[in-house]
Amino acid sequence: MSTSTQGIPFRTNAAEALRNATLRGAMRNATDTFTIKRADALSGVPVEEWREQASAMRLHVLDNLSDYVDRFEKNAARAGARVHRAKDSQEARERIGSILKDHGIGSVVKSKSMVSEEIHLNNYLETQGVRVVETDLGEYIIQIAGEGPSHIIVPAIHKDRRQVGKLFAEKLGCEYSDDPAVLTRIAKKILREEFLSAKAGISGANFAVADSGSIVLFTNEGNGRMCTTLPPLHIAVLSIEKMIPSLADLPKFIRLLPRSATGQILTSYMSVITGTRKPGESTGAEEMHIVLVDNGRSEIVNGEYREMLKCIRCGACLNACPVYRMVGGHAYGTTYPGPMGIVLTTLLDGMEKANPLLEATTLCGACEDVCPVKVPLPQLLRRLRERRVEEGLTPKLEQTGMAGFGKIVKSPFLFHLGQTAAHFLWPVATKIGPKVALDRLPRPVGKIFGRRVS
Amino acid sequence: MTRDEIIDLFIGNAVKVAAEPLRVNNNEELNRVLGPILAESESIFCPSVTDKEKAVQLPPEKHTQDYASASVCVEEVSAAIAETGSLVCSSQGGKPVQAGLLPAHHVAIVSSENIYENLDDFFSTLGNSPPTNITLETGPSRTADIELTLTIGVHGPGRLTVIVY
Repeated sequence: MSTSTQGIPFRTNAAEALRNATLRGAMRNATDTFTIKRADALSGVPVEEWREQASAMRLHVLDNLSDYVDRFEKNAARAGARVHRAKDSQEARERIGSILKDHGIGSVVKSKSMVSEEIHLNNYLETQGVRVVETDLGEYIIQIAGEGPSHIIVPAIHKDRRQVGKLFAEKLGCEYSDDPAVLTRIAKKILREEFLSAKAGISGANFAVADSGSIVLFTNEGNGRMCTTLPPLHIAVLSIEKMIPSLADLPKFIRLLPRSATGQILTSYMSVITGTRKPGESTGAEEMHIVLVDNGRSEIVNGEYREMLKCIRCGACLNACPVYRMVGGHAYGTTYPGPMGIVLTTLLDGMEKANPLLEATTLCGACEDVCPVKVPLPQLLRRLRERRVEEGLTPKLEQTGMAGFGKIVKSPFLFHLGQTAAHFLWPVATKIGPKVALDRLPRPVGKIFGRRVS
Repeated sequence: MTRDEIIDLFIGNAVKVAAEPLRVNNNEELNRVLGPILAESESIFCPSVTDKEKAVQLPPEKHTQDYASASVCVEEVSAAIAETGSLVCSSQGGKPVQAGLLPAHHVAIVSSENIYENLDDFFSTLGNSPPTNITLETGPSRTADIELTLTIGVHGPGRLTVIVY
């Protein structure tokens, strides 16, 4: 089968990834570890009941999304935050850029945010003369390497310790070490200075609470807390579907998100941030802006793929996916990789650009089994694949082949003839054909099923 | 669950997340367990606002008001959650929540009557106008961003001592 001629060159990327032994070792280590930890963390708890409840809660929010967004906006404003709505990536980027410009800020500290990757915030801010310092260790590593994240939870998972050691020695001028503890200390020292001098911090949010106007952040390192409490200005950027109704609903998601993401009962830190510093308080930004990114979600939520918006970005489906486990995140050439990434990217960026990604699935269903909020990923993938065929976006050779195959299997005579031919031609084919490819095929069974059915 | 069962559950879960829990019953015991910690520290931040904080005998030469430069932060936190082994740090009452984040060692005192059995019990008390910052702190700062190798003490404290009082 030929490769697709348009859109993301997934096949080329994947082939390249498969030839990279370091990458495959790193991916195997990471996805195996996460899979085991997740299973441990969810053993002995009523996980099915939790998933049902969380899924129902997410669906309820999607059913009433615009109401919840309005309610969140009102309550966040009541708590002292300024809420901005951005219909697309460009609006979101420009709004954040102008807030920083208004304050004359040339440098910001930032904690990990996938939606900021989605809107390509860092590149934009750099063009506006704003220096962005990623402070999550993984994000810091890929930032100084000039790369994008390859996993939504552990962005630098594609690199091994020697590569990180070399990168630090080269870019930071420190002595080479491949000890993660030493490398972490080096980054900590540099970043502590940045935190203490920063005039603005940018964060994402794992959830937004409609009734209180709070944002909720889960982090392990403490950088998220620093970005949101030390600088006088805090800008939070999040997509609109992150809403949950009230703080009393939060435990449902606290129990599932860290367990599904890293196999932890809870991350080291989980912060609920509600607006700006109130009179008599000694914590909280003096000024807080919340940028709500739509980017097509208001339309997705009304369509047949709406359940994709239940996703809480735990990354469990990445770790479970046999394709992702082999090729890693960069092969997808997108912000969001893996099963959730294929569906979300196709919805956000359009079929034309993203359609080759729809080949990056085996439809095995492992993603659906691990999803904490029961996103029906295989169904969504199948439906998108059907649409890809309907829109004529599959490779020409595949289209011709499938059309021919369709004709043959519809005719009992041709089907029988084909089977008989395969049976007799097999020994010849194995002698002259591509051995590697033929070895993977099941052998034609000949007479047993070769009976003509009329 | 009885109060003692809740405390035991909290201490058990705090151990699992690599916090170092201790239990004391009076100010004398509090200062006895704090003694070695404060002796080996370079500089100590303590808000000295609550009764239990005021009971801490701070070596005067090590006492600092600048939590950003302190090596240890000793404070009473507002609550704890047994289900997850978490401390609840809140900005309520003027507490600088970040004071427990910047020093390399966080020593958190939690009153035994302020330990909630589970997450629901705690979050259902918050209502719709919570303090500006509520942080659940569950073990020391950690990362696994390089080869998933666990490294303790990234940006936040590498040591978390929890004193149930």
